[in-house]
Amino acid sequence: MGKENRNTIFIDEGQVHAIREFPDQQYIMRIEAPKVAAAARPGSFVHVRCDPKIPMRRPISLMRANADAGWVEIYFKVVGDGLAALSDTAIGECVNMLGPIGNGFSPNPESKTQLMIGGGVGIPPMLFLAEHLNSDPNYDWSPVVFMGSESPFPFDLKASKIALNGIPSDATGCLPEMEDCGIPSRLASQQSYEGAHKGFVTDLAAAWLLANPELQASTEIFACGPEQMLHAAAKLASEFGIDAQLCLEEYMACAVGGCAGCAVEVHGPNGASMKRVCVDGPVFKAREIYLQ
Amino acid sequence: MVADGSNKLDPRLTTEFCGLPLASPTVLLSGCVGFGEEYTRIEGFSNTDVGAICLKGTTGKLRHGNSPHRVYETPDGMLNAIGLQNPGVDTVVDTILPDLDFSETRFIANACGSTIEEYVYVTKRFNDSNIDAIEINISCPNVKEGGVSFGNDPDMSARVVEACRNVTTKPLIAKLSPNQTDIAYNASRCIEAGADSLAVINTMMGMAIDIEKRRPIIGNVQGGLSGPAIKPIALLKVKQVYEVARKHNVPIIGQGGICNATDAIEFLLAGATTVGIGTALFYDPLVCIDINRGIGDYLTQHKMASVRQLIGALESP
Ligand SMILES: Cc1cc2nc3c(=O)[nH]c(=O)nc-3n(C[C@H](O)[C@H](O)[C@H](O)COP(=O)(O)OP(=O)(O)OC[C@H]3O[C@@H](n4cnc5c(N)ncnc54)[C@H](O)[C@@H]3O)c2cc1C
Ligand SMILES: Cc1cc2nc3c(=O)[nH]c(=O)nc-3n(C[C@H](O)[C@H](O)[C@H](O)COP(=O)(O)O)c2cc1C
Ligand code: FES
Repeated sequence: MGKENRNTIFIDEGQVHAIREFPDQQYIMRIEAPKVAAAARPGSFVHVRCDPKIPMRRPISLMRANADAGWVEIYFKVVGDGLAALSDTAIGECVNMLGPIGNGFSPNPESKTQLMIGGGVGIPPMLFLAEHLNSDPNYDWSPVVFMGSESPFPFDLKASKIALNGIPSDATGCLPEMEDCGIPSRLASQQSYEGAHKGFVTDLAAAWLLANPELQASTEIFACGPEQMLHAAAKLASEFGIDAQLCLEEYMACAVGGCAGCAVEVHGPNGASMKRVCVDGPVFKAREIYLQ
Repeated sequence: MVADGSNKLDPRLTTEFCGLPLASPTVLLSGCVGFGEEYTRIEGFSNTDVGAICLKGTTGKLRHGNSPHRVYETPDGMLNAIGLQNPGVDTVVDTILPDLDFSETRFIANACGSTIEEYVYVTKRFNDSNIDAIEINISCPNVKEGGVSFGNDPDMSARVVEACRNVTTKPLIAKLSPNQTDIAYNASRCIEAGADSLAVINTMMGMAIDIEKRRPIIGNVQGGLSGPAIKPIALLKVKQVYEVARKHNVPIIGQGGICNATDAIEFLLAGATTVGIGTALFYDPLVCIDINRGIGDYLTQHKMASVRQLIGALESP
């Protein structure tokens, strides 16, 4: 691979500035990480040491990065010992992370609408991407954001004032973070959450695509979330004949391309090959992952 | 590290391995660092901080490897079942080796095969390259003889080593499996068959189960256990192999769970000439800098002039 990738991943060990806890053991944590923040891209992730007693690191997406202030924000839901230990970190204590890792999303500037589908802990890279596109001075992007979760959303939802064609009438709520900067957003859940459509997040995306035939051809899908959701997003893209980029998860050891522990099968023009989710991904083209 | 970013390693760490001068006794282990460049992505990491780097296990033809999951953390260690994913020896020799910077460190190939013929082909291809040494990973399953690992049978181990010896003049390292009864006997057979060095030990086989799904977590069901969990076993195996190897002046790459300078010094005292670091890189990518510094501090404290004085310097209880 030559030397072109040298010194592109950084080690930061910085204090936890803030932790917010949400139901179902969900946390949003702001951590001082100036080098990671300066190089972060939507879709890239960090490999975090959760606790000195749990030496293997855990991969977590970046939700926000503030290069000027030198911090990053992550959003995670406790699964086992690693993330439980991370959630116990107190404000002022230090967290060691490796990052930013991975290629992130690369939206096509020709596309008119960027349709984002985030599910559960797949929400953070979608927020990052939407906010990033919104503040891009070079292009006039127009993201539309749909989020799904089976745990209460870790945001103070409010009723949306931005109209969205074709959306089920029970989807009235939005993410204030998106709405306040003019990005339309809607929510879905199988649970009965106020303002959220009762159903799958991909149903919202399908309804929007159907109701906006003139925009279909120039829409690009971006998705991150559970496997079933990614599958549904890929199917949607193929049904409407549009491109989709998916952000994948796989168990990792090194997260820098050294161990091939995170490899997945990818179907490119030259047939099947193995790609590492950490450094070749985590974002892949949908049609390279799921053959339709 | 000096101010311009270039590394000046402590000269007392200089050692010799199979006639190759090494800047440090630390060796990055096969399968943990891809084909030598991957960790240099990390700022602060440098190939010049280690004595040598073992490249990923390489077979005759491209291999896709096992289905997920391939890695899983276990108490004090991890399981892996990568399945020798690699692009095949022709691609490695023709397109990967030319990009490596041999001025920074020594590079060691890791040759694998399902048949003796495949080991020979891979070894031969590496022999005709600029690689510094060839390690044969004899823990691979022998497909012609029911999939039993070459490395668990001293006769088969010796046959692989002998066949590879016949096609290379480069330093040849036999990497021994701990999944066998008498590692010292296997070591002596590998030496007789022409091995210049022994790598001790490869991973131990293990498994993990997801009780909710009632399924093995590792796609391949079983995987190799590495990391601190295997360190005491590895240390004993190094000592046992050293009893044999010292008589033939055959150096050992000691490995299995080394995470810090104390671990490294233990392996040196047990008889290793160099110390391999694999899993510990996943914990701390810059661990070798600390290990080098820690060995240097120990030498100062004990008024020793060279790390070589530690090799096999274990006293009786
Ligand atoms: C690129 C990437 C981005 C991610 N982003 C986020 C995020 O933003 N927020 C969030 O909450 N989670 C995220 N995850 C999932 C998160 O890494 C796992 O939930 C976490 O590793 C579980 O660790 P644990 O110790 O709590 O659970 P355990 O189940 O005890 O973990 C045991 C082992 O399995 C591994 N593991 C278990 N589940 C996963 C998984 N889904 N993906 C990868 N490894 C796993 C762990 O890393 C650990 O080695 C991401 C995963 C990847 C690969
Ligand atoms: C992810 C992973 C992949 C490995 N792949 C190889 C391999 O291709 N060839 C080989 O000889 N050993 C391989 N090994 C074994 C290591 O080289 C080393 O012998 C072992 O992990 C013990 O050292 P450690 O505890 O420091 O990791 C691998 C180990 C790991 C963790
Ligand atoms: S986790 Fe090691 S290659 Fe991706």
